[in-house]
Amino acid sequence: MNRLVPYLCVPFLIFGSISGYAAESTEKPIRMAYLQNDLHHLALWVAMEQGFFKHENIPVEIAGVFKAGPEIMTAFAAGALDMAYVGEAPATTAVANKTTDVVAVAQVNTDGSALVVSSRNSGIDSIADLAGKTVAVPGHSTVQDLLLRKALARHGLDDRQVNIMVLKPPEMIPALRTGQIHAFIAWETFPSKAVTLEIGRILATSKDIWADHPCCVLVSDRKFLESNRDRVAAVVRAHVNATDFIRSNPDEAVQIAVKYTGTDEETVRLALRNVHFTYILSVEGEKEYVEFLSDLKYIRVPDVDIFLKSFMDSDLLEAILKSP
Amino acid sequence: MKWRRLLSPLMLVALWQVLCIWGIIPAYKLPAPTQVLGGLWELMTLGMPPGRLLHLHILHSLERVLYGYAAAVCTAVPLGIAMGWFPRFRTLAEPVVELIRPIPPLAWIPIAILWFGIGIKSAAFIIFLGAFFPILLNTVSGVRSIDPILIEAARTLNAKDKDIFLKVLIPGSVPSIWTGLRIGVGIGWMTLVAAEFTGVREGYGLGYMIMTARDIQRPDEIVAGMLVIGMIGLSIDAGLRLLERRLIRWR
Amino acid sequence: MALSLEIRGLTKRFETQEDHAGLLAFENLNLSVEKGEFVSIVGPSGCGKTTLLRIVAGLERPTGGRILLDGRPLTQREPRVGLVFQEYALFPWRTTLQNIEMGLEIMSVDKSERRASAMEYIRAFGLHGFEHAYPKELSGGMKQRVAIARTLIMNPQVVLMDEPFGSLDSQTRNDLQNFLLGLWRRRRDTVLFVTHNVDEAVYLSDRVVVLSRRPAGILLTCEVPLTRPRDRTSREANEIRKEILQVLAGLKPASTPDVTAR
Repeated sequence: MNRLVPYLCVPFLIFGSISGYAAESTEKPIRMAYLQNDLHHLALWVAMEQGFFKHENIPVEIAGVFKAGPEIMTAFAAGALDMAYVGEAPATTAVANKTTDVVAVAQVNTDGSALVVSSRNSGIDSIADLAGKTVAVPGHSTVQDLLLRKALARHGLDDRQVNIMVLKPPEMIPALRTGQIHAFIAWETFPSKAVTLEIGRILATSKDIWADHPCCVLVSDRKFLESNRDRVAAVVRAHVNATDFIRSNPDEAVQIAVKYTGTDEETVRLALRNVHFTYILSVEGEKEYVEFLSDLKYIRVPDVDIFLKSFMDSDLLEAILKSP
Repeated sequence: MKWRRLLSPLMLVALWQVLCIWGIIPAYKLPAPTQVLGGLWELMTLGMPPGRLLHLHILHSLERVLYGYAAAVCTAVPLGIAMGWFPRFRTLAEPVVELIRPIPPLAWIPIAILWFGIGIKSAAFIIFLGAFFPILLNTVSGVRSIDPILIEAARTLNAKDKDIFLKVLIPGSVPSIWTGLRIGVGIGWMTLVAAEFTGVREGYGLGYMIMTARDIQRPDEIVAGMLVIGMIGLSIDAGLRLLERRLIRWR
Repeated sequence: MALSLEIRGLTKRFETQEDHAGLLAFENLNLSVEKGEFVSIVGPSGCGKTTLLRIVAGLERPTGGRILLDGRPLTQREPRVGLVFQEYALFPWRTTLQNIEMGLEIMSVDKSERRASAMEYIRAFGLHGFEHAYPKELSGGMKQRVAIARTLIMNPQVVLMDEPFGSLDSQTRNDLQNFLLGLWRRRRDTVLFVTHNVDEAVYLSDRVVVLSRRPAGILLTCEVPLTRPRDRTSREANEIRKEILQVLAGLKPASTPDVTAR
């Protein structure tokens, strides 16, 4: 009988931990993530530095800093995240392919990427000159991937004439410097960094390609949202305040950006000119993403409108904006 | 009967399918076998990224492995024979080998890119590093484990050093060398996926295909891709074993 | 009678790590073998008889003394001397045919010539049907026949044999002794045969040389004037065997220490 006791404890341990996991403890911090050196996610950093989360009485922990959007979606699938700042395209892909179920509860930014070519005489003066060249993107089904294809399509080009290669953004600058690639498209601060290092010059900003295109969104795991509506609302409120703060206190925002990206101030200031911080969700923009991803056969969405309604939830945001 | 060997993997697959149907294994953690087969079908017909079909990914990966592996064989076998035969050379070379050997091929990726740029050369280099050491070590061991009495017998038959080398050393160490070749190609193939993380310029490769499937959130295709990699590795090994039986009939 | 092999004042000292004086295998050993003579060397284990053979084969260097073959000094690599090992030492990756041909191949003998020669030996040695077999498929007795063929096909002036039948069971051993005798009676090679089996030595040889323990000296040289084929159980054979065994056991004193035959 004594030998069995340890074995009898096992079911209790399992049930105990499961129920402990299920029960929402208000002390458990919300696990969030953002992208490495992605200036678009400045609102999150501001919220942390200026204590906006504390002000809302919600503990937040950074469960991961990732190198590309698809990696954040994988982390959601693994149950490692509750909410995140992430590109709209990877989030859409993940939800459409049913690997994870997240809801976009607020916009994070529009614009804020750029297509960079070598500052030396590369002979590339317009997008049409990219034919026969190699261009790096941060990943398939990222916002930047779609922007590049959109730009190429306007000049009658696609991935048969242009070699689209996947590289993690930190690797793009050395690759451009050594001539391994002819151009790259990435989120700020990478394009501005290439400029201040005098390695690259901007061929086109994402604004040039698609004005005011939605870029990053604040997403929440759907189950988490359903059982923690108040806490998610609090995060959204902090996000709104932080976004407003960026507009009204640009110098302080710069300092925070310098701290979190580890980049110099000159680069950050240059980059900030390219990013538009906003929290209003753009359904039209998202619709275009869905259509683009379907055309590339990355996803299959039977009914676009139903998908949009399910993926985007502005209720919390609207409630916050309405209140004084 | 060969069929009996398939029984336990088939049972495992059946169990896996059942666990998925019952929801014990959630779909996002591990796709069911039926989904994996569907993913495999899409990899072959639609491709990942869409438009790039599986068989082309396979060919490109095989090409990379071939380059890296060939380089490994051409350097490791002669070096191994030299190290096995000349004790002074072995004492010189051994510390260098033992220092570099524990470094995982993946750790070389940043240097590989600096030296060879992004493309087939840096990928082949990583694979070379993976395949080199097993081939080297097995060659050295093969040479050193030749029964000294065979060398003496050859000497009593008037063999000069050149004869000993060609007629005793080399044929005698072939079984060990072959084992090294088999292990080397296995490790080289395994290193392939990691090697393709150095950046795939042409846009084709099994590792690249799996990474893209990850980007586009298709776990069914990820697992299908993994299975393809496993099956090819198995086939290469089986092929080498078959050749071994044909070539080395005297063991 | 012509002296095929002359060993004069042979000394062998092994350098050891601890003891700089070294291990003395034998000192000032003298031994002569006439052309066509079959001489056996017997002695206790570890007395140095194998070392003696290896020096004559050119696998070891003597510390002192001289060895003459047909009056000419022995060089390090000697095509004139053949050695048959106890462990057969067949090349496992070579077939019977290829093993036998090995020496001829090394001497760059033309392919068809060496093949014809090897096939002759295969037939003569009863190995027909096994020419393409690998050593792993052969019995111990067959392997030793291949080893002997490999050595004899080179027509060495002296054939050294180091306990060649030591790994075989007694029946096979007897078979091979008779086989060897049959060969020798036709070819009349000069043979120096090392064994610890006194019965075998008496059965095969013209003369038996008995070595003492290390450092080995010659305790006894015994002629075996019996006509072949010999009866192992004959009175004369028994007497010769008895004398040798007694000397080995130390019961009878050495009759002619360090003797030079004839």
